[in-house]
Amino acid sequence: MSDYEAFRARARTWLQSVAGEFGREARRGLDVEQDLALGRRYLAARFDAGFAGINWPTEMGGQGLTHIEKVIFDTEEMGFGMPTAYFGISLGMPVPILMRFCEDKAFVKERVLKALRGEEIWCQLFSEPAGGSDLAGLRTRAEVDGNGWKLNGQKVWTSWAQYCDYGVIVARTDPTVPKHKGLTYYWVDMKAPGVDVRPIKLAGGDSHVNEVFFDDVRLEDSQRMSPVGGGFAVAMATLMIERYVATDSGGFGPHLDLFVDLARDVEVNGRPAIADGRIRSQIARNHAMRAGLESITTRAMLMMQAGMEPGPEGSLNKLVAVRSRQKLSELAIDLQGNAGLAFDPHASQKENWTASWLNAPTGRIAGGADEMLLNTIAERILGLPQDHRPDKGVPFNQIPA
Amino acid sequence: MSILLDEGQQAIATECRRVLEARSDKGRLLGLLEQVGACDAVFRDTAVEQGWTALAIAEEHGGLGLGLIELGLVAQATGGVIAGAPFLTVGYGAARVLAEAGSAEVQAAWLPRLASGEATATVAFAEGNAPLPLRPTTVFAAGRLTGVKEGVVAGLAADIAVVWAMNEGEPALVLVELSGATRNPVDGFDNSRLYADLAFAEAPATLLARGEAARALALDVLARMAVVTAHEQTGGAEALLTIARDYAVTRKAFGQPIGAFQSVKHRIAELYGLVEIARANCIHAAALADAADGTPNGTANFLIAAADARISATEAYDTAARDCVQIHGGIGVTWEQGLHLHMRRARSLAIEQGNLLFWEDLLVDHLTGEAA
Repeated sequence: MSDYEAFRARARTWLQSVAGEFGREARRGLDVEQDLALGRRYLAARFDAGFAGINWPTEMGGQGLTHIEKVIFDTEEMGFGMPTAYFGISLGMPVPILMRFCEDKAFVKERVLKALRGEEIWCQLFSEPAGGSDLAGLRTRAEVDGNGWKLNGQKVWTSWAQYCDYGVIVARTDPTVPKHKGLTYYWVDMKAPGVDVRPIKLAGGDSHVNEVFFDDVRLEDSQRMSPVGGGFAVAMATLMIERYVATDSGGFGPHLDLFVDLARDVEVNGRPAIADGRIRSQIARNHAMRAGLESITTRAMLMMQAGMEPGPEGSLNKLVAVRSRQKLSELAIDLQGNAGLAFDPHASQKENWTASWLNAPTGRIAGGADEMLLNTIAERILGLPQDHRPDKGVPFNQIPA
Repeated sequence: MSILLDEGQQAIATECRRVLEARSDKGRLLGLLEQVGACDAVFRDTAVEQGWTALAIAEEHGGLGLGLIELGLVAQATGGVIAGAPFLTVGYGAARVLAEAGSAEVQAAWLPRLASGEATATVAFAEGNAPLPLRPTTVFAAGRLTGVKEGVVAGLAADIAVVWAMNEGEPALVLVELSGATRNPVDGFDNSRLYADLAFAEAPATLLARGEAARALALDVLARMAVVTAHEQTGGAEALLTIARDYAVTRKAFGQPIGAFQSVKHRIAELYGLVEIARANCIHAAALADAADGTPNGTANFLIAAADARISATEAYDTAARDCVQIHGGIGVTWEQGLHLHMRRARSLAIEQGNLLFWEDLLVDHLTGEAA
């Protein structure tokens, strides 16, 4: 057994040992607050078991292993339905960026340990009403205020902000230069005076995203994590930090086996649905697509293990998987007919076709809309021209609103 | 299973592409479309010279003893240049049947000649629109074969064929020399594939396998050929992706390259996705076949992987052909420009080794455990 497989076996053994306490079945019926509390306990247990911060340095409370072990653990963990969603962004982006760009190492270490144990949560304050895909179009401003800064403006779609202790934020510090050049990156205390978090209820009924308002919020200069005007580069580093993460060829919806089970349980016009060519074709096409994505992921892992840089095809997963899940979920509801009209807003997107369908649009927009992912493939991989951008090189304050 | 290609395999892929690109000629291929009975002799000679006909035949029979991974890489390169001759895939399939089920005599008589390119072989399983009919109408009895196999690829030129036929109420695989068959050329949309209707009237033939053994072997070989063809389709789709991309960055309209319009650039980005998914499935299926050689447990997994590869490669090549022409606008539909060579090949390869309907059903049968 290779070291990696030994690690996988060790991870699986531990996960199985705590699945009854924290896993899918234990979470059934919990409200968000109870589930979050369970999640905090799970993170503490994970920390104590030596599976926290797998690829982070040991002096920061991590395990000092590689990205490969991290992906192996995450892939194994995903199968158990553990309550980790609240901490995914926190540990995925803001905290690693803090370790890399914040100079006060004692402060960093304290935060990292608390974040790893689920005691503190960090959010990422990037998107705004005027800038989602167009991140650099953001308008929240930070102005010099004595020896620090004063923050004013609004962020939106901030995941879990209502439970967060800290956040990382990009703000405009100079509106007289082209949009990418006038941004600066900070960390912010979410409990500071002037920070107002308002949850947004989404189409599926949950409220995990928020609007966050900043009204004269004081930032010390020590909270600045980029050169003044150098914030966009750190923002890009945040988004690129984990190019290869544990993926799900099912687009974070139900497994294809569940669709096959459904098709075996119901009839279409008096014949078994599983014998219906329309259904069979969709099963086959989805299987072929998911198998391809899984092979791409497996090869990427093999390349990393061989010390090579994985190919860019890994970027296809979210684009292809989520929109396929959306259509397959529609078909699954069709298959249920009138029985498919019922909806339980607490049902899991990974187990319930209606929940999967209703929440799929979020998956196609959050973390890079399909159209942006296609642009990235076209421009970065295939060398096709950029879109026409009339604001290019224009000082931010001269771009027509 | 997914693998990383080793250095030898990468060298095969690079060398194939280099040789084929140097010798490919669109004008020659266009000419072949309007001739019945001619194939791309340059490619045929190249395949023999480079040892591609010997690639997957065992060393003891004069071959190179390599596997489906290597053959797949060659097929991918041939697909990229729309190589006109059809021998590679069906020649491999026929040789595989002989190696698995032929007597020592039959193997000695044919495998070294197939490896050296001195003789060519094809496979005639399909009847009507069924790639592998449950009860073929072609009959083998008392050492003689009678019936008709329509649209057999390479049928106009092959020396021998492995035929799917009925024998005493059970399906069977038999070997027949085509000198004993009537070959009726099919004047089709992709003539260099050398399609022929083969009519057998008490043609002398040799039984290779019958009953369940014949069915299992025929399905395995069909799946193996489908994986080779899937590589060829992926190679074609990949070439079209490059052609579409190159055109989109050079052709200008409304004052900018057409590739700057999202309707065009997103179409091309989507092709990239289809090509990469097909490629990943192809490598997975080929590696699984090579690893599962001789291990019967791997059969179902290999058939599923072959179906995945076949389905995604067919979708990739058809879509790439459709969209690449569309991106070219008017010039794309001209004879001279030649994109229709890919369009035609995408469809002929979609039929050879079984249509999508066959592979979709086979895949679902295996997923639900309802496979025969």
